[in-house]
Amino acid sequence: MSAQTKNEAAKQGVKKEKRRLFDATGKRLVREIRPLRGWIAFSAFLCLILIGCAVAAPELLGGLVDKLYAWTKNKTPGLARSLLPGLGMLLGVYAVQAIVTYGNSYLLNNIVSRYFCAELRIRLSEKLRRLPVSYVDQTPAGDVIDRMMEDVGNMADSIYGIVEILLTGFLQMIVIAVILFATDWRMAIPVVLLSPLSVLLSAKMATLGEKHWDKHFNLGGELTALAEEAYTNYPATKAFNREAYLQEKYDELSLRHQRNGIFGNFLSSIVQPVIVFVDALAYIAVALLGGWLIVHRGLSIGTVVTVIFFARQLSAPLERIAFGLSFIQHVKSAAKRVFTLLDLPEEEDPTETAQAPTKGRVEFRNVDFSYDPKKPLIRNLSFSVHPGQKVAIVGPTGAGKTTIVNLLMRFYDIQKGQILIDGEDISKLSRADTRRRFAMVLQDTWLFKGTVAENVAYGSPEATREEIERACDLAYCDHFIRRLPQGYDSVISEDSTAVSSGQKQLLTIARALLADRSLLILDEATSNVDTRTELLIQKAMDRLMGGRTCFVIAHRLSTIVDADCILVIRDGQIVEQGTHRALLDRKGFYYELFNSQYKI
Amino acid sequence: MAISAVCNLLLPTLMSNVLDKGVYGAAEADTFGYIFKTCAWMLGVSLLSLASVAGGYWVVYHVISGYTWSLRSALFRQVHHMTLAEVSRIGTSNLVTRSTHDVGTLNWVVSMLCGSIIIIPLTFLGGVFLCMRKDVRLSLIILCTVPLLLVVVFAMSKKIDKLWEISDDYCDKQNDLVRERLRGIRVIRAFDRERYAHSRITEATRVMADNIIRANVRMAIIDPMAAFVLNAAALVIVWLSGVRMERGSGLTPGDVFAIIQYVNIILGAIVSASFAIVMLPHVRVAARRLSQVTESTGLEDDKPAEGLRFNGAIDLEQVGYTYPSGGMPALSDLNLHIGAGEWISVIGGTGSGKTTLAELLLAFRRPSTGTLRFDGRDAASLSAADVRANVSVSMQKSMLYAGTVADNLRMGKPDATDDELWAALELAQIADFLREKPEGLNFKLEPAATNISGGQKQRLTIARAILKDAPIYIFDDSFSALDFLTEAKVRVAINRKLAGRTRIVITQRVVSAMHADRIFVLSDGALVGAGTHAELLEHCDIYREIYLSQTGGGAA
Repeated sequence: MSAQTKNEAAKQGVKKEKRRLFDATGKRLVREIRPLRGWIAFSAFLCLILIGCAVAAPELLGGLVDKLYAWTKNKTPGLARSLLPGLGMLLGVYAVQAIVTYGNSYLLNNIVSRYFCAELRIRLSEKLRRLPVSYVDQTPAGDVIDRMMEDVGNMADSIYGIVEILLTGFLQMIVIAVILFATDWRMAIPVVLLSPLSVLLSAKMATLGEKHWDKHFNLGGELTALAEEAYTNYPATKAFNREAYLQEKYDELSLRHQRNGIFGNFLSSIVQPVIVFVDALAYIAVALLGGWLIVHRGLSIGTVVTVIFFARQLSAPLERIAFGLSFIQHVKSAAKRVFTLLDLPEEEDPTETAQAPTKGRVEFRNVDFSYDPKKPLIRNLSFSVHPGQKVAIVGPTGAGKTTIVNLLMRFYDIQKGQILIDGEDISKLSRADTRRRFAMVLQDTWLFKGTVAENVAYGSPEATREEIERACDLAYCDHFIRRLPQGYDSVISEDSTAVSSGQKQLLTIARALLADRSLLILDEATSNVDTRTELLIQKAMDRLMGGRTCFVIAHRLSTIVDADCILVIRDGQIVEQGTHRALLDRKGFYYELFNSQYKI
Repeated sequence: MAISAVCNLLLPTLMSNVLDKGVYGAAEADTFGYIFKTCAWMLGVSLLSLASVAGGYWVVYHVISGYTWSLRSALFRQVHHMTLAEVSRIGTSNLVTRSTHDVGTLNWVVSMLCGSIIIIPLTFLGGVFLCMRKDVRLSLIILCTVPLLLVVVFAMSKKIDKLWEISDDYCDKQNDLVRERLRGIRVIRAFDRERYAHSRITEATRVMADNIIRANVRMAIIDPMAAFVLNAAALVIVWLSGVRMERGSGLTPGDVFAIIQYVNIILGAIVSASFAIVMLPHVRVAARRLSQVTESTGLEDDKPAEGLRFNGAIDLEQVGYTYPSGGMPALSDLNLHIGAGEWISVIGGTGSGKTTLAELLLAFRRPSTGTLRFDGRDAASLSAADVRANVSVSMQKSMLYAGTVADNLRMGKPDATDDELWAALELAQIADFLREKPEGLNFKLEPAATNISGGQKQRLTIARAILKDAPIYIFDDSFSALDFLTEAKVRVAINRKLAGRTRIVITQRVVSAMHADRIFVLSDGALVGAGTHAELLEHCDIYREIYLSQTGGGAA
């Protein structure tokens, strides 16, 4: 082991350290910020002015104090007047400092909030447009929202970080160090030597604190989850007398949460006093050395004062750097989550083409599909539907009824086989082209926050008010819409209580009627609706189906006895196929299913 | 804390002594010794300052943290002490925010401020005092600037508050938009409206950014302005001291130097104070929101459980219930008599009062009028805990807890053996599903049981309800996510296992209700029919209507 290899090892250590800070995420972050470099450069320029001010002010002040001391020695008259030019200049410097500080924070705020955060959020929103439905199905909405809001907000700190650390912090530190040496190298040495100490100490404490913060935040997440669970399950908790158990669990978790918070808080609060302490050490060193130099080497008092002022100034950038380094880690974990979302594979799509009106012939040819490659769901599914036919899909929960809708609408892509509409393979069409042929009424009614009219016209934004009203009239909505406070202009939303769940269903039927597509998908569901509204929904659906090729997912078998064809699905396979009568006569699975309604 | 504030104040005095007496004090022999002594003092004072500030924070954080912990614990307990009506009035998500976010904010802000509340005024007053000691008239200049600064800070903080509120609103709005869009992704794509959904989000994002910028930029005025005003004051002091030194006052350059240092300290205190003042509204808001919970009056009674065991007879006499929010009664003049061991079903559409009835039977709500009796005993005289110990329920919303399946099942019977668990799972037609899992009974449910389907959740809650040994069982719409075939199997199994216990099946599906011993038909909170399926078909119009609409008459 020579000294050389040791040296190399040390170098590698340094490299590793660097890699940790500028890993893939770090680099990506820098790349993301690149478009803003013009603005950041401008901000850096402003920072330079500020550094200039920070340098000039102690210099001038030192000069003034020098004059005061000089006067006590030789008592030349006109002291006050001789101070004036220096004072004026200082005032100017302070004014520039104030204005530029304000200007810079104005600039940075705009860069960060408008050009970085907002743009990034808009890009994420744009990304949502092109993500496959499967991603949305598998990801809790809260997670996506968290990435768009919290994580992007945290990333914004990276800009402050770069400006604060790389530009202001380091530049200021270097300039001050240079000036210190220029003013008096002997006194500069202890100051410059002591300052890395405070950086090291505070960085060390920041990482230590970080560990506790991480734990604190994670435990906080658990705590929220537990409270959320306990409160949503309030009736079950009470019905099974579980309060005491949950309380104990909650208190215990909360205690751990708080403990980590104490350490985190403590370490964060102590960083600044430590820097102040090291500062005081520098102060003492300068005073001792300065005193000695004045007495024995005839150094001017003003020089000592200037050095003291600069030494004080040095602590500010150090604090900044320490602070910046500590939150760079936060920023990176947030950035990673945002980049993951931005980099998700998108749906590929051929360009849209003009299409001939759809006749409504649909065919499945040997279709294979599964959500999870390990669990095959649909195997070798084939059937065909003639224009204008009503096809019912029945089967037990989990058999794959909704999956067929997912495939028809290309929310999911099939893995083998073909789906043809009017003889055309839909995988050759753009997704929008395929979807444009369908209207859809789903069990899960979806309304967005907007007026009733906007909601009904969702599939046909150019519809006139008359057309909207006519569709609503056909769908039995008109009468209750007119009773709303603002009629068709009343604002409704998903959780609005002004309309009942049955009425929401009627509105989605009106929406499908207005869109007037030649193919129709009805996920027939009326489980939360009172009997009278249900009858209306049934009638409205019948109206909607007239003349269209329909796929009806039947939950109640009574509604589909008149279907042209019933597909009985079990474990992803069509086990039976035919009309209601024919299927009953076969006394097979459908027969069993149908009669289970009446079994004791 | 106080010690450290004092220490920090002492430093400049010592420093100015070094300058004045030591450095400037000419060539006396002892000069260097004096500097040395003072520096030793400075070192001591700095160390003391560091130690005291560390100790101070240590103690303060422990105190605050202990307080936060007990506040959190009290809130959690309080929520479970509230009545169901109160819980739903305030809303679950609000309660969660109160218990977590609001407590967190309070903790955070108080932690931030605790140091400042002691240090800032002390530093400020001490700084002013020391200035005065050096020179009263010069110090007055500094004091003049303070009210000016405070006025600006207060004025700003008010405006900023408003802006934050607006941007918070937009933040909520954007959250809603994204949530709405993700939920509606199928409809949005089916109607090709992704572009529109995107534009709505874009707009909200821009407005939010505007408001954040405005708030931040306003806040950014405070610091540079305070710095400028105080620095300018320091300059005036330098000039005036020059003037006065010339006139022969006892002022030394070291004094001037010290005063300038003090100005810096005061400046620091004011900047921290402005920060603290901006934070204060957050405390106010958090405290107000918390008091909504802690001062809630909708609490359940605290009657201790007596360990009663019912036989299972239930009588409702002229029972009515009106929600605290007012409006039409949810139930009115209800007369029901259920014998021990009977199999009853209650059918009705949304808003018919079915669930309110279940909540009355679980003592979540107390009748507004009339009497509810268990085995002839007035429920009003019974503790809620006793009632609930005698009623086992499975609800439409599955209400499972994160953790293993076994943990969830054992809620109703903590000492149940694995065999008993499997038997219950078997009855609920969910045993096969768990047998396929390598973990079996220890299969872990995610929060809100998101890793299993709706039907599976319902079957687990049914298993949980069956496992609990009680004279009365309520199945509140707990078959709604099951297909008919599975439901029929579950129904048969339950009736075999629970024969002889009172069973109440609440449903809107006629197939779930029709086989019961007796069926009660509810409509708009009133009983409109009671009897067997055949009797009701003949005599009860509403029942017949429901029946026909759901089955098309095919099963007559």
